[in-house]
Amino acid sequence: MANNNGILKILKNRELLVMAFLLIIFFSITSNRFLSPSNISNVLMNISVSGILALGLALVMINGDFDLSFGSALGLLNLFILMFVDKGWNVWVMFALAIVGGILWGMLNAILVVQIKIHAFVATIATWTMCRGFIYWINGGKTFYGKYPDFMTIIGRGTVFGYIPISSIIFIGAAIIVFLLANRSKFGRYIYAVGSNADAAEYVGINSKRIRFTSYLLQGLLIGLSTVILSSKLTSGPATAGDGFQMTVIASAFLGATVFKPGLVNIGGSILGILLLSIIENGLIMLGVPFYFKYIVQGLIIIGAVSFISLKNKRSEGPAIL
Amino acid sequence: MATKEIIMSTTKLNKSFGVTHAVINLDITIEKGDIMGLVGENGAGKSTLIKILGGEYYLDSGQITYQNKIISWNSSAEALKKGIAIVHQHPLLVFSLNAAENIFLGKEFTQGIFLDEKKSIEESKKLVKQYPIYPELDLEKPVIEMSAGEKEVVEILKALSYNPKILILDEPTASLPKDEAESLLKLLVDLNRKKEMTMIYISHKLEETFEICNKITVMRNGENIGMLTNEHFDKNKLVKMMINQDISEFYPEKSSQIGKVLLEANHINSKVLKDVSIHVHEGEIVGLYGLIGAGMTELVESIYGLQPFQSGEIIFNQKKILHPHVDMMVHHGIYLIPADRHQYGLFPSFSVSENITIAHLFSLFPEFLLTRYKENQVATKEAEQMNLKYADINQSIKELSGGNQQKVIVARWLLKECNVLIVDDPTVGIDIGAKRDIYRILRELNSHHKGIIFISSEINEIIGMADRIYTMRRGIITAELPKDEINQENILKNIL
Repeated sequence: MANNNGILKILKNRELLVMAFLLIIFFSITSNRFLSPSNISNVLMNISVSGILALGLALVMINGDFDLSFGSALGLLNLFILMFVDKGWNVWVMFALAIVGGILWGMLNAILVVQIKIHAFVATIATWTMCRGFIYWINGGKTFYGKYPDFMTIIGRGTVFGYIPISSIIFIGAAIIVFLLANRSKFGRYIYAVGSNADAAEYVGINSKRIRFTSYLLQGLLIGLSTVILSSKLTSGPATAGDGFQMTVIASAFLGATVFKPGLVNIGGSILGILLLSIIENGLIMLGVPFYFKYIVQGLIIIGAVSFISLKNKRSEGPAIL
Repeated sequence: MATKEIIMSTTKLNKSFGVTHAVINLDITIEKGDIMGLVGENGAGKSTLIKILGGEYYLDSGQITYQNKIISWNSSAEALKKGIAIVHQHPLLVFSLNAAENIFLGKEFTQGIFLDEKKSIEESKKLVKQYPIYPELDLEKPVIEMSAGEKEVVEILKALSYNPKILILDEPTASLPKDEAESLLKLLVDLNRKKEMTMIYISHKLEETFEICNKITVMRNGENIGMLTNEHFDKNKLVKMMINQDISEFYPEKSSQIGKVLLEANHINSKVLKDVSIHVHEGEIVGLYGLIGAGMTELVESIYGLQPFQSGEIIFNQKKILHPHVDMMVHHGIYLIPADRHQYGLFPSFSVSENITIAHLFSLFPEFLLTRYKENQVATKEAEQMNLKYADINQSIKELSGGNQQKVIVARWLLKECNVLIVDDPTVGIDIGAKRDIYRILRELNSHHKGIIFISSEINEIIGMADRIYTMRRGIITAELPKDEINQENILKNIL
């Protein structure tokens, strides 16, 4: 009996982990390619772009804010890197500039949401749309192809010891840093505090505007970093680049809010969420299911996750977004 | 004396909110034509009781008998229809509508599919004539432009428009100027005599209840402590029933060692405040007292840097604080505990430990990464000193009772040296034990030469705790009462 309780206690709030495990088993049985080294490597590479975006979105959502624009920001920055590399600019300089560009993007959203106080949904729908418009304007709706030096692909396609993608190492590094920042640093505690009760935060001397602003800047930095990996991998600039990540990343935040700190978006949950979603996405492809099923599954997962939270928890736990 | 008809009675009513038992095994009896006073401290369960009677809360167990029938209301609308109307402490009015529209909200007069505004004004006029509490009331004025007193009048007229058999009034005079309060009391007595209307009257002003009630029921911690009839009204006895102690024993001894001036605010002018100056000494509790909206909260929040003010200065330890802002004040050891702990104090998703350490994270834990072990150690130590009742320092703050939540908020600030503690109505809705703990902690701070600015909404509390009192009215300081001039008459004279 005691043993039983022990297992239940371990499983408590770890539903996602169990689900991921079961799914991996399921896909391994139904598809013999799923566990092949090349496929694993492929999944890992995909996760590094969406995973870093998920880290950024989680930081913003813990505050009670939101962002819908990161997908098109990714597309625009990708185009920007490739166009200048084509003109002969140094790849590493462009990568650094893309990260700066990401931070500026975060600043734009922060000014609109935090300073001008436009609701995050409204502000970032606007920046999202505008940004996508710029991409179409710049490359006329076509995919941009340009010259690039061969070594440019090392970050996005390179591996060490044969199968470990360099991009995954970057993602794991970013995940560890953001996790420690959010869960163990004072800044991180302040982000959760602002998300939990922004008024109370002001009364203890936390400048909630500054915290929210900084979170958007950090998210921008992470958008920039994921663009670097994406450009290095794609080496082309489709007009729709970044769109595919949008819903996966948003779904990961909601799915992540069902574990560890139920009812609250949290970094650990988001990481697990993006892993799980990427596995599902890949598994469906391996099973030969048409790609559009991915959107149906993502929608169902968002509804499922949020229903789970709202049925399990009482309201007013944290940010209003859930 | 002939026995009167019992109009309503309750047997063994119980109502809990989570771990808080708001009403416990409560029996009361109201006879037709009574004006029954209902008194008790904040958190004694008075409001919960009337909300049960008025159908706003479901009861957990027990029985209500009304007009010889056992009833259980499905909604407040049903109770209202059957003749039980509540006049709430904070008027429940739609601010954008005018008085007449508010009075007939939910039972509008129509002509075809359109509202008949003329009729609603006419009917409201009739109502005002029938119940002349405040005949000059402008029925076409939007509620948002009305004074607190006018709003109260609209709320009462709204209740009377239902022709209630029992009228329940929850502190109707709390925000009224003295003359309006007196005319209201007169009208209530009139209504009772002429129309035999039964009433339940909640008030913190005991003199009022003596004036109009024929009996008074005392509640304490959710229980019915007893009832006095008008021939036995006695203030000391009543207070003793309310707090289970003589007043002199309930509050700790006042300060005997008042030192130099610690913090002063001089000539503060803001939207609400007009040329307000106050100061607090070492080892002193300074009370601020006034009606709701008189500006006490605005004053302390201005000092704390949360609200802007146009002119004036804040001086701490003889040095002017140039740009008062919360982190600056915290840096100087000047802390504010806000009035509404749920809205402005607690982090609901945090643990007890995280709620305690949040205010002083940077100074307590200089290293980059926080460690839960160290945090818990610090939090546990402070929790013990506060006499906090909790199961696990990592449990959710929401699982604690109101009093213990408030102690957590106090504990949060005492982790580091505190010079001035500003407390804004710290004992609202918390039990007597926690209240005494908080009083004790404040006096302990005093004995370490700390200064305290204490706002209270309870006159007994401010009299019991303060060494000196500033009374406020509409944004100005009306009087400064030294220790030997602190009494109820002097305070009431200056706030109304």
